[in-house]
Amino acid sequence: MTKWQTGFDPNAGLVIDQITYFRLSRSPHNYPVALENLWWSVLLELEDTSIDQFEYATSDFANDLLIPIAYDADDRGRVLPSQPLVIYARKPLIEALNLLDNPYQVISVRLGATTPERFLDQTASAENTSEFRVEDDTVITAIIDDGIAIAHDLFRNGPVSSRIHHARIFDAEPEKTRSHSSVGRALDRAEIDKLLSDCTFGGMLDEDLFYARTGQVDMSEDVFSTVALQTSHGTHVAGLAAGYSISDACKNRPIICAALPSRIVTDTTGLDMIPTLYLAFHILAKQARRFRMHNGKRAPVIFNFSYGNTGGPHDGTGIFAKMFDFYFGENAASPKGHEQTAWLTLPAGNNNLNRLHAIDDPAASSDTTMLELTVLPDDRTPSQVQIWLPHSLEDHQPDLASIKVTAPFEDELGLIRTQPGQHAALLNSDDCEVAWLAYQYVGGTTERGLVTLSINPTGGLKDRSDTAPAGVWKIEICRSTETNEEPIHIWVRRDETLHGHKSGGRQAFFSNGTYKRFGKYGEPLAVDPPDTDSPVRRSGTISGFACGATPITVAAYSEQEGELSPYSAAGPLNPSPNSPKPMRSGPDVAAMGDESQVLRGVLSAGSRSGSWVRLSGTSVATPRVARAASKDIADFKGDGRAWCKVAAKRDPFELTGRSLKTRAGAGGICIPVFDDEAPD
Amino acid sequence: MGIGPESALSALSALSALSGSSALSALSGSSALSALSALSALGTESPAQAGALITNRDGIVGTRIEHIADVTPGLTDSPQNLARLAPNVRAAIYQSELGPSVDVSFKTQDDQPVATLWRRSEERSKRRAIVFDELVEMTGPTVQQLETQLKHVAGYAQIRPDRGAEILSQMGVPTSFFATIGFIDQARTPYTIEFLYTALGFSSAVIQRMKYALAVKRPIEFSPQVQPMIPTPTHGSLPSGHATEAFLMARLIWKLLIHSKVPQYNDHAYWGDMLMRQAARIATNRTVAGVHFPIDSAAGGLLGVTLADHVFAMACGGQWASTAFNGPNFDPRDDFDWHKIYCAADDKLKNEAVSDCGVWAKSKTHKEPSGSTPSPILQWLWSKALAEWQDLRPDQV
Repeated sequence: MTKWQTGFDPNAGLVIDQITYFRLSRSPHNYPVALENLWWSVLLELEDTSIDQFEYATSDFANDLLIPIAYDADDRGRVLPSQPLVIYARKPLIEALNLLDNPYQVISVRLGATTPERFLDQTASAENTSEFRVEDDTVITAIIDDGIAIAHDLFRNGPVSSRIHHARIFDAEPEKTRSHSSVGRALDRAEIDKLLSDCTFGGMLDEDLFYARTGQVDMSEDVFSTVALQTSHGTHVAGLAAGYSISDACKNRPIICAALPSRIVTDTTGLDMIPTLYLAFHILAKQARRFRMHNGKRAPVIFNFSYGNTGGPHDGTGIFAKMFDFYFGENAASPKGHEQTAWLTLPAGNNNLNRLHAIDDPAASSDTTMLELTVLPDDRTPSQVQIWLPHSLEDHQPDLASIKVTAPFEDELGLIRTQPGQHAALLNSDDCEVAWLAYQYVGGTTERGLVTLSINPTGGLKDRSDTAPAGVWKIEICRSTETNEEPIHIWVRRDETLHGHKSGGRQAFFSNGTYKRFGKYGEPLAVDPPDTDSPVRRSGTISGFACGATPITVAAYSEQEGELSPYSAAGPLNPSPNSPKPMRSGPDVAAMGDESQVLRGVLSAGSRSGSWVRLSGTSVATPRVARAASKDIADFKGDGRAWCKVAAKRDPFELTGRSLKTRAGAGGICIPVFDDEAPD
Repeated sequence: MGIGPESALSALSALSALSGSSALSALSGSSALSALSALSALGTESPAQAGALITNRDGIVGTRIEHIADVTPGLTDSPQNLARLAPNVRAAIYQSELGPSVDVSFKTQDDQPVATLWRRSEERSKRRAIVFDELVEMTGPTVQQLETQLKHVAGYAQIRPDRGAEILSQMGVPTSFFATIGFIDQARTPYTIEFLYTALGFSSAVIQRMKYALAVKRPIEFSPQVQPMIPTPTHGSLPSGHATEAFLMARLIWKLLIHSKVPQYNDHAYWGDMLMRQAARIATNRTVAGVHFPIDSAAGGLLGVTLADHVFAMACGGQWASTAFNGPNFDPRDDFDWHKIYCAADDKLKNEAVSDCGVWAKSKTHKEPSGSTPSPILQWLWSKALAEWQDLRPDQV
């Protein structure tokens, strides 16, 4: 028997981010060590202050704060109207930062993942960011992914000579001496080459030994990377984006990469990798700036990030959308003289058919939208739903709707209104909190109200006293008279276990009976039926990361059928007055993600040199586009998205099917990989 | 006694291993050996034919022949006979040479078990005298070391889904995994297979005796969370039988390649390295499966490459190597790394393997004892196997 408790927590209305509040307030068994000792990655947004000033202001929490060494003196001294900062911090500091009236100029907080303390290094010295000269035809590929087999021969131009100039490994114990990274390890090319040499016997590289020496795999210390498996996502992606035969002796396609933490083993409060992603981007942006061509310009760089998510406002104002512009946009914070042509390729996402998006449409006949959320049993991580309200100003947050939630097998509902401070908690018969429903206002350029429903894990092996009930949760959104004409969008956050990972997440989804999954011949419907009356939609399933103004967003097609892959996610976005112009309607272009519907996926590098494996999805279509872009970026007059249109026209792949604009942008593009030799 | 490699005992051949007279067929974890038996059946008489043969003889035998022509005696104790013997008969003869070439003793030193494998060496004098030299001295690890090593076992469990097919395939003799590197096939290299299985049959007794002496507990006895993906064998954990056998096979194949003098093999260490990689992967897969600690592989690997030298010296003479494995000096935080004990490029054992805890492996090369000669029987087998790797010449018939 559960019961809802409403408005009981005076602190609930005082916090910036409800997810952070939720994740820091779980029962002790949810954390791998005592919560007070646990380090988290955190992404902050600072307003009108510098990093140095922030550090000074938080000096009372000095023992709970690590500002990565990757922020150099220039970064630290700069006062900006708004700037992102990734820190590693412990609970006392995070709680202080997450208060609306905090004195540290922090205006947004995003809690990332727990990080084992042994991966952090408070004593690391500054990394090498000095420039060096490269040929005028150099193009850099920057890969941010997990599980990158950096010793693979597709990334070498000689037996013991790597094309990877910098590799950052987040999940590794720091070097005992000469550490240049506050988290994990930083390897420059000379160090990689030395390791290659040390691990080569009889002319052959012992790759198992290599990854033990890089710190990527240490079975005895539970340091794991998917490079220990036959298939690793980052290797596959990097192979497509920048792999060239070792015999090509490629000199002008250097690679820089960051391997993100590949899993969270014992943190059952959720996983958010945006903070580490931000830090990885910061690090690689600095590394990219080291490549100065003989003609005096910086070498152009293409960033590939083959990850997606389902959360976020989907209007181009999200925290990820702003990241690229902060480093490479027109108003980038970097000092003058640091101009560099940079494009970013991102996948559209694979959630088209996963029933993770719904709309409360004001044009619908009823003013009430009922959603059924199926939460699976034995889900070891929380399930979260974001309800994004239409644009509103902070000083006038209209009460747009009431949100009612009913747990499975229960009649009692929890109800909040879309107003500051509104919250409700679901308690079980032992008075343990098992779900949290709360309103918050997201400022900055987003300017929207956000209601989050966070549901505890439904299974666990340690202590089951606070598991949430699995089954169908009902979410009822009832519009008030103040509602404007913009729809309310609802997204279920991604929560599934990927290949090689063991977080134990199981994806919750909307299971409304009105959603029509199949056509009359039994085929999965890739596009919403025109006459649908279901609030659950395929439209708007595009990755929350992929909504910014500048990134090249890539959909996936299946080559043999000449159709978009059914999973390839769809626009349109959810515009607001603050959305960047021009607004996108969906992905920019589609590339091959599958050879056919029965032969899913495409071949690329396996974890060991000489091996090939198959992976499917928009995340493998994306690096194909990155590869093609690397040939044109140096000479193309225009941005990456404009290039997509030209490239799709020049090397078209004919696609059939409906709604191509919101799912394929400029259409299909044909990009050969296997017969693609390295440029001279 | 049916002698078979540890791996074969758990494979299909478990039943045939019970057959006392058929040592070689007891080794037949691979279908190659079954094929061999099938072929040999063509030249022998089936019991089902006995009735026909009796009446047939009655029909044609006729009157007894009184004057039998001269019959020369058989060639005594000559390897020339071997080619005319059935494989299982040859197998028994090989084992009669190899088996008595070693002996095992046991002692406790500094509270740790020490098993010593001795190598027989004859001294010529008026009376036949036999002395033994130390071939392998193996000191068992401490329980505390194994507790630390358990972390490796837990870590490796994460990649079981990736290695599952290999692990199941390698429960038997992993001939097919080596046959993907060296061109080994029953039709093409029957004596190579016979040679390898001879060495495996010999090693099995050594392995089991060493395991028995050291009595090292298996991972499953340390934690209920190991949950191996295959049944844990009942014998001791260290040295790993799979590691011993895999490294024994790898090094013997490598020796065949080296001595073949064939251009593509000769002086190309990558052949040897690839064979060793294969052996290491087979050994590590046993840790992935949850039935071995990495230190078991280190001990087994060392035993395997040492036995390979011994078998080779028995067949061809020349120098031989002795080794010592000192378990307590193996840093339990370390994983197994075969490069620390052996170098394929020069086919030599490393003099020392050192960890933060001290020297955990040592090797020493010994000259061929004066007056000793290789076993003609094993020499015959070696030469037959070696010929299978040498290039054919146009003038050969």
